[in-house]
Formats: sequence, structure tokens, C-alpha cells
Amino acid sequence: MVEPTNQTMTHAAPLLEELEAGTPPFSALVQKLTQLVGKDGILFDADELLVYECDGYIVDKTAPDIVVFPASTEQVSATVKLCNQFNVPFLARGAGTSLSGGCLPIGGGVMIVLTKMKKILEINLRDRYAVVEPGMVNLHLTNALKGTGYHYAPDPSSQGSCTIGGNIATNSGGPHTLKYGVTTNHVLGLEAVMPDGTIIELGGPTAEVPGYDMHGLYVGNEGTFGICTKATVRLTRDPESLRTMLAVFQTIADATKSISAMIAAGIIPAALEMMDQGIIQAVEEAFHFGFPLDAGAVLLIEVDGLEIALDEEVRQILEICHACNVRDIQSANTPEERLLIWKSRKQAFGAIGRLSPSYCTQDGVVPRTRLPEILEFIEETSQRFGLRIVNVFHAGDGNVHPILLFDERDQKQIQTVLEASEAILEKCLELGGSVTGEHGIGVEKINFMSRIFNKTDLATMETVRNLFNPRQICSRDKVLPQHQTDEKSSIAQSHPTRRAPH
Amino acid sequence: MSPLHSGSLEEFIPASQTELSRYITENAATSQKQLFPVGGRTSLSVCCPSSQSGIQICTSQLSRVIDYPIRDMTITVEAGLRLDQLNEIISAEGQRLPIDVPQSNRATVGGVIATNTCGPKRFSYGTIRDYVIGISAIDGTGNLFKSGGRVVKNVAGYDLAKMLVGSLGTLAVISQVTLNLRPIPETMSMVWFAFDSCQTVERALAALITSGTRPTAIEYCNSKAARQIAAESRFELPSEHHVICLCYEGPENVVKWQANKIIDEWNAFSPLSSQIVESDHATRLYNAFTEYQTSSDDPVTLKAVVLPSQMMKFVEAATELNIAIQAHAADGIVFGHLPDSASSLEDVRQLLSQLKKEIDPKTGHLTIYQCESEWAALLPLFCAPPPGWDLMKQLKNSLDPGLLLNAQRFTDLVET
Repeated sequence: MVEPTNQTMTHAAPLLEELEAGTPPFSALVQKLTQLVGKDGILFDADELLVYECDGYIVDKTAPDIVVFPASTEQVSATVKLCNQFNVPFLARGAGTSLSGGCLPIGGGVMIVLTKMKKILEINLRDRYAVVEPGMVNLHLTNALKGTGYHYAPDPSSQGSCTIGGNIATNSGGPHTLKYGVTTNHVLGLEAVMPDGTIIELGGPTAEVPGYDMHGLYVGNEGTFGICTKATVRLTRDPESLRTMLAVFQTIADATKSISAMIAAGIIPAALEMMDQGIIQAVEEAFHFGFPLDAGAVLLIEVDGLEIALDEEVRQILEICHACNVRDIQSANTPEERLLIWKSRKQAFGAIGRLSPSYCTQDGVVPRTRLPEILEFIEETSQRFGLRIVNVFHAGDGNVHPILLFDERDQKQIQTVLEASEAILEKCLELGGSVTGEHGIGVEKINFMSRIFNKTDLATMETVRNLFNPRQICSRDKVLPQHQTDEKSSIAQSHPTRRAPH
Repeated sequence: MSPLHSGSLEEFIPASQTELSRYITENAATSQKQLFPVGGRTSLSVCCPSSQSGIQICTSQLSRVIDYPIRDMTITVEAGLRLDQLNEIISAEGQRLPIDVPQSNRATVGGVIATNTCGPKRFSYGTIRDYVIGISAIDGTGNLFKSGGRVVKNVAGYDLAKMLVGSLGTLAVISQVTLNLRPIPETMSMVWFAFDSCQTVERALAALITSGTRPTAIEYCNSKAARQIAAESRFELPSEHHVICLCYEGPENVVKWQANKIIDEWNAFSPLSSQIVESDHATRLYNAFTEYQTSSDDPVTLKAVVLPSQMMKFVEAATELNIAIQAHAADGIVFGHLPDSASSLEDVRQLLSQLKKEIDPKTGHLTIYQCESEWAALLPLFCAPPPGWDLMKQLKNSLDPGLLLNAQRFTDLVET
């Protein structure tokens, strides 16, 4: 292995100022920011800041010193310039639905909340794109497109609240990524404020731009390359028709076999969601959908496309499922029946809330054919640690979401959850997979980075990060692990886990 | 030495990516020669002008398949694997990489990424950026780095593969790639329409936005290009006017239904003629469309990227200049083969400056796609700086601080 260049390794961590309420620099910054965004656009009372001390990842908490709500790119840029002038860290936040601590304000400083910037600036159906502000809620864009025959394809489970800017930062997925791809496949261009306050444009509304794919590089930066202030996204044609099925299998191995067989037959379902016995029982206890409690796995299968094509696809799927020992398979014949099937999937998390005071969702990925192995391992882990773990996940992509149930009031249980999570993610890597399919590294899984990537990989990523954010003044200490030689202060690094509020 | 080159060029043919990494490290530390990564040498006329001196890094020995878990529909290969070799391996399993690559008997996987090559299917399947799920490459100082992995969904770390897409060998030498694959559809047909004017074509294209059919490719060509494409496909097709050719893929009954349906829908635009092309004929015609962008022996081929709604205006102006035009019409990507009458560099510059006026600089880009090798060094590839050009320059300097990877080409990319 080649050693990274000195230039990269010695890039000193910045010494950023810590703001302290009541001090002259704090008051001066508050005054200047207030002039910029108005009294309604700033918070700095400790009580009001509490809401912003964490996102969907609640293990680490640290409040920002100031929260601002800019209404324009210019205000974001001016805010960022002030942060540079006062040498305080800052970071962007959308709806705060990150599950990996992406918007944890390490070192305090200024949090730039983009929820006021939520306008659709342009919808151009002829050229199949829309331009939106970053605080636009994902689902609101699709709602605005209703009746046009087009939609915005990436649909994370939190699409009713998460923002497009946040989706770009984390390269969000969702249940329909198997067929339609993730966020990066749908972003054509963007405008961003660099960590020094300059405004840049990357990509654009055309199908491509000459040169390096910089907007592609930008997507998935987890907020560390600056603040996206405008996005040009591709619009996708609505499918003419849909068919939704629910297949009950005796074993996970049978269900997995059917998935591979469908895809091998040339069928790419729009969604392929699996629920294991644990979650079936939980959903059944809570909502009484009528699932057999002894079933090993339930598969939600949705195919979409032209009406004329779907009957044959459904026939093939039924044939494949029967060849894979399906116990029972139901098809939705009406929109109401389809909604009911999806309800069982979407309410899975609600069902868990009834079972356990707290839970932690992991986001590992394995090659699709290794699903039986990872699920078997998760079951073993559950028994080994005496911890209830249930699974509901995007099976078509091999993206598992083991949900570890526990009580956060019990410190010992928290420790057990941390250890079990780590064991599961380690196994995902061993099976040739990844520790995160769609939630991101954030602060949560930062310790895994040096297990996935070697020093040269990380140094190259750091070189690229430094191009945008050399002083780490913007969303510091995310994605890339710190060098051991660094002496900068930061919060104690998190362990890989997440606990959701109950 | 490659016959394309008149400069002083040696060759280095690494047997492994670690050997290549050592070589580049040593080069950066000692002789500091210019390095030119080459795959199938199909795009060298623009990527690597002939006047250069230095060393060609040939990836011909980096052509192994590292891992092909068939049922996972991913494949990890070395970057020098030729596209026809890749296609042979994966088509045996009913799979494909849905990227159209001209000269696939020479073009390599690494070259397709570095040149961001694509063809008609990009409308429905996207481009190579959408299929690279993992990459290894070696930067100008010899660092062998990777990003991504071997699973189809993965957000661990920055997506460094993206920056190498379209990098023309100026940022790092791509050494190994993991690709996501798709199933081969059951059948494919094309529907060939002739229209009397650019205006009618535009109206028909606009109507496709809400068509009841879902074409997988939408190709336009003017009569000059249509004649050549039809001849290449060895099929009698009316090519006196403007042609749009739609492609449909899928189960046979669905493809047939769509082909008939679009003829029905487009009756509203009174086409001069329409014809369904099926089976082997369809394959030959499709291949002719794929190959056409690099096929001709004209002096210069240009590529324009414009908004689809602006495309026919550009096409009309280009047609008046006697340029043969093929376009991936729903994506606004236009290839123009300049006429033989453009026999001097001055003629070419004259044509380019006329065409530039037809492009909205805010949303359009005009680039040189292929040209006579002796002109390559004298023609900037990009007629204007693309968005993010300053950052691209900084990225180049970060990954290749000694400016050793095809550096002259990068400097000359943009017209100043």
C-alpha cells in the first residue's frame, strides 16, 4: 500500500472558537445574525435550543449555541461568512430526520436550519426537471406534481417530513430504490454555499455537463462539503399501473430464493420488502392483519409499469413463489387492498413501539443472496445477547434493518445493544457488504470507516473533503475518522448504534 | 507506439493495479514524465493529442474478472476489460450493462467511465455513473484508493467514483470497477418515423412527455445522418427528411402493443411515413445508432448538450450548416459530424462559433467529441467552462499535484 502524501496527513485540524453565551463575541455574532435574518429568524435561548441538540440519532446530544433560519441563498452565504469571521463552527439542518447524527452540532456553534427555504422554483415537464429549495419536504414535491404524470422518485420512509437538501446530503434511498435508484441518480445539479461563504453551481438542468461529475461527488457528503441551497432534480414518469402482493413463506431462505428468481427472470419489482417472524408477530399483536404467527417471512412485492405488461409479470411472480414453497399469496385487487398491504409494512415501526420502550435500527447491506446468512446471524446474535431483534427491510437491495428492542433506562441494556449492533455490522462487512445502505455514517458509524477503507482511501476522501471544507468549520468530525495524531477536542466518539425516541 | 501519435510515447503495461501504483509513485518521485492512461484507444484523438510526449499506461493486461456473483447481478472487473468481453460473460447469464458503447470490440470499462460514453438507452437506463457501485483508481502520486464497495446500495464514505466519470484520464488511472447489472429484456423493436420539418418533430417530441407508451430510447437524425444510419443497418428506410426512431424493450406482446400505439398517437402529427422494425433488423438498426457517434471519418464530430425543448432549434441551425446530426432527443444530446468541406482548422472554428450562438450559455454546452488528431491540441474540447470549473481545477491539483496525468489536455480543455 502506498502511504498517503504528507500534505494530506498533516492537514491540521482547525482551532475553532467555542462560543459562550453572554460573552462579547457571542453577543456581537447574535446581533449581526439578527440584523441579517431578523428576530424571527434566530434562536439563542438555551431552552429553545434543546430541540436542536440531536436528530433521529439520540445517543449523542449537544446543543448548538445559535440557530438561524435563513430565507435565501444570500442569507445562508452571509451567515456562513459571519461564522468564518467569528471562527465558529456551523452546520446545516433540514428536518432533523437523520438516523446517524448527521446534524449533531459538534463543538456547538451556529446551526443553519433550512426549513424556511422550501419553495419550488421551477417545474419543467418538457425537460423533465424541477428546481427546489433545500428545505422542501420530499413528499411535497411529489404532491405538487400530482396530475402531471410525473413524480420525484426517491422516497425515504420519512418522506413526509425529510427535506430534499437532507436527502442530497445523505444520498437517501427508500423502498423504491431497487427499480428507480437512490437520490444521486435523480440529482442533475445544485447550488451550494461553500464553507467559506462563496456560492457555487455544479451540474445543471441538462442531461449532463462536461468535465468531472462534481454534483455526483457532492451528493452523499453528509453536510461536510457546505450547504446545498438549491437543487435541480430529475422528474420520473408515473407508472401506468401497479400490482401489489403479499407472500407468506415458511422460511427466510425460501423468501430470499424467490427474490433472486424474480430478478433472474427479468422482473425488477418496484418494491420488495421483507418482514421476518419477529416483526410479523409484533404487527399481528398490534394490528391483527391476519398473518400466520408461525410464518418465517412475509414478502411485500410490488410491480409497476404498463397495464398490459403486469398480468403476465404477476403470473410469473406467482409461479416463482410457488416454486419457492410459498405458503400463501394474496394480491390486492383494489386500491384499498393495496393500501392495507402497505399499511402492514409502514406500521411495523408503530407495532414495535408497543412492544418495547426503545429500539435501535441498523442499516447494514449484504449481497442479496447472502440475506439468509445475515438473518440467521442476527437471530443467533439475538439469542447470544438475550435481546429481541426483529427485521423489516428492503430485501431486493440486500439492505437489512435489524431493529434491536431494549429499554434505554437500563444502562446495561444500552451496552448490550451497542455490542450486538457492532457484531451485526461486522458480519455485514464479512459477507461482502456495507455498514450503511441509506442512513449514512454521520457520527454513529464513524468508527467503522477505518475497517471498511484503508488509510489511502481515507486520505483521498480527506483530500476531496479539504477541497470544499479545509478547516472543517462546516459540520466538523463527520464521516471521516480523526487522525490519531490530531489533538483537537471533540465529544467522545460514538458507538455504532441508534436509539429512536419511543 | 500507437500510430495515432507523432509525439514521443513509450508504453507501460502493468500486470496488476499494485504494480501500476508502484510505477506511478516512482514516476512522481523521479522522472516525472507525463502519463496517458489508455484503454481501447477509441477516444484518443480528443483525450490525448498526438503531439504529446510521455508514457502511455495501457490497461490491456488489467482485464481479469475478479468476482461475478451471478445471482447478485454485480460484477467486479479490472478496468482494461473490453466491453465485448464483458458483454459475452454477462449475456450468457441473461444480464447486461445497459450502456451503449460504440466500438465495443476495443473500448474498455475504464475508458467508458473516463469518457462518460453512452448511447440511445441513456434515456431510460441512465449512464455509467448509475452503474458503478465501487471503484479503485491510482492518483497522480501513485496512491491506490477505492470508494464504494460490491453491494448495490451503499453510502459509506464519499462517492469518489463520480469524480472519475468524464475525467479523461486527468485525475487518476481507473484500475478496478464493480458494476451493477440488469436483466436482458425479452425483445426489442424500433419504430422509424419521417417528418417534414423540425417544428413537427418538436411537437411530436413534446407529446411524448405524456405518451401512453414508455420508449427506452428516442433518437432523432436529420436526413444526412438518417441516410448513413439506414445504410449501415442494411435496411430500406425513408431518409429524405427528419427522422425520429423510438425503441421499445420488454416482453414481445408489450413491445408490439407500444409500437402500434405510438403510430396511432403520432398520427396527430401527420408523419410522412412510419415503419416498425423488428427482430434482427431492429438489432442492426439499433447498433447503427450506437455506432454512428464515432463512425464517420469526418474531420470533427461535436457534441452539444442542451435542454430537450431547445434542441430542435439547435438542430435546425446545424442542419443548415450541412452538419449530419444524430441526437438522443429526449436528453437533448446532439452529435454533429462536420461536413468534409470543413477542411481547415479555420473552417472548423468558423462553424463552431456559428453553432455557439445557437446555444444558451446558461443551460447548454458545446464540446468537441472527436477530431483529426493533428487538430486535437489546437481545439479546446469544451467551448466554455462548465459549472464548477474552478473546483475541477482544484480537484485536479489535489489528486495530481505534479500535473503528471494527461495534464496538458486538462489545461487545454476550456477555450480561454
